[in-house]
Amino acid sequence: MAQKLKETILNPILKGNPITVLVLGICSALAVTVQLKGALVMALSVIAVTGLSSLVCSLLRNTIPNRVRIIVQLVVVAMMVILVDQILKAGEGTYAIDKQLSVYIGLIITNCIVMGRIEAFALGNKPIPSLLDGIANGLGYGLILVIVAFFRELLGSGTLFGFRVLPEAYVPNNLVILPPFALILLGCIIWVHRAIDKDLQEN
Amino acid sequence: MNTNNNVYTVIYTAIVVVIVAAVLAFVASKLGPAQDANAKAETLRQMMSAAGIKSTEELYAAKNAEILQLYADNIEEAYTIGLDGEKNGELSISQDKIELVSKLKPQHKAILAEGDATLPVYIFKGGIAVIPIYGAGLWGPVWGYIAFCPDCYTIAGAFFDHESETPGLGAKIKDEAWFREKFIGKTVEWGETPAFRLEKNVEATGATNAVDAITGATMTSKGLNEALNIWFKAYEKHFGLGAFFNMLEGLSEAETVNDNEEE
Repeated sequence: MAQKLKETILNPILKGNPITVLVLGICSALAVTVQLKGALVMALSVIAVTGLSSLVCSLLRNTIPNRVRIIVQLVVVAMMVILVDQILKAGEGTYAIDKQLSVYIGLIITNCIVMGRIEAFALGNKPIPSLLDGIANGLGYGLILVIVAFFRELLGSGTLFGFRVLPEAYVPNNLVILPPFALILLGCIIWVHRAIDKDLQEN
Repeated sequence: MNTNNNVYTVIYTAIVVVIVAAVLAFVASKLGPAQDANAKAETLRQMMSAAGIKSTEELYAAKNAEILQLYADNIEEAYTIGLDGEKNGELSISQDKIELVSKLKPQHKAILAEGDATLPVYIFKGGIAVIPIYGAGLWGPVWGYIAFCPDCYTIAGAFFDHESETPGLGAKIKDEAWFREKFIGKTVEWGETPAFRLEKNVEATGATNAVDAITGATMTSKGLNEALNIWFKAYEKHFGLGAFFNMLEGLSEAETVNDNEEE
């Protein structure tokens, strides 16, 4: 049991990472990784949404009519996303970041990781493992987001969390700021990930 | 229980939707006031940053309550004008009657349609007049606040914001202090079209009514340029007249000085 729980938590972060292995949630990974602060808030929001949606759907799993299960899941996920957005807008410290992330918080609804985990895991498992699975997948997603944002903010603006790290003489690279570079960076991360983990290599 | 039954399915979905709607309505009504306070404080920060009451960093570091207090301490009066330049209403300067950025969109439409506009003018201590501007950027709306010195044509400060311009490119209109600082001391040529320009090589030509556009953000700069011109045109009669009277006053003062010298 403990072994299974450990796997539930570690697998989505490493071997089954939603971005680098399953290649889900790429859209937002390109859009919100220009600055670390935004990426971090986005990651936390996704963790909250995946965790709570999985928990609720798992609690309801025996009552949901099979023919409308996707619709019911969608309603639950949409509710969580709106809640997260409302809370971010209400906090004095998070208001500015919510403005910066603009539509991307709302677009968590369309993030395949959320619905994917509900379909694949929460509907067939007990609430607590489902909650952990959701959180772990959010973490796996967030980890990649933060890594990409680290390089993009450093090379694109010469700053980290808004503080200047590189000297003023460094000319910020505009390509890094544009979404295509995030795709290149993601490709590199997937490459490194596969080089380290032999199990992921295809023959 | 048969969960595939039609009646069950309909009742189930109805209940889920009602519960979700109730939860969201409850949360929205609970968090509404806090969100409103944030939006108001944000508007005031932008206005006061343009008016130069405090530095932008200080304004963004301050708590909402401090921002409201600062506004109450510095605002003198606020009114609205029509496109004819005449005053057509008073605006409350009390803290709970702050016009949000969302009010600018209908005004923008009114200006374009040459209809009944109520364009706000905020007068801060020292005679600094702050006006908003609004327009379309590349991905969404861009807006800002421009502060004028008491002479009615010298820009005392500016602040720009946007909904979703590209970070690192178009977003520089907000993020980079040097961009808004470039507006300080520039003058608006009331009566000319365009009264103010965002263009290339301004530093080389030394134009006083123009500011360098942002490299790599052509569309955002274009949108901002258009927003500035549409709104300046709308305020032209009001401020242009003010500037004219100020000029007359300046001339007559100069004459008195001359008269004194002759004596």
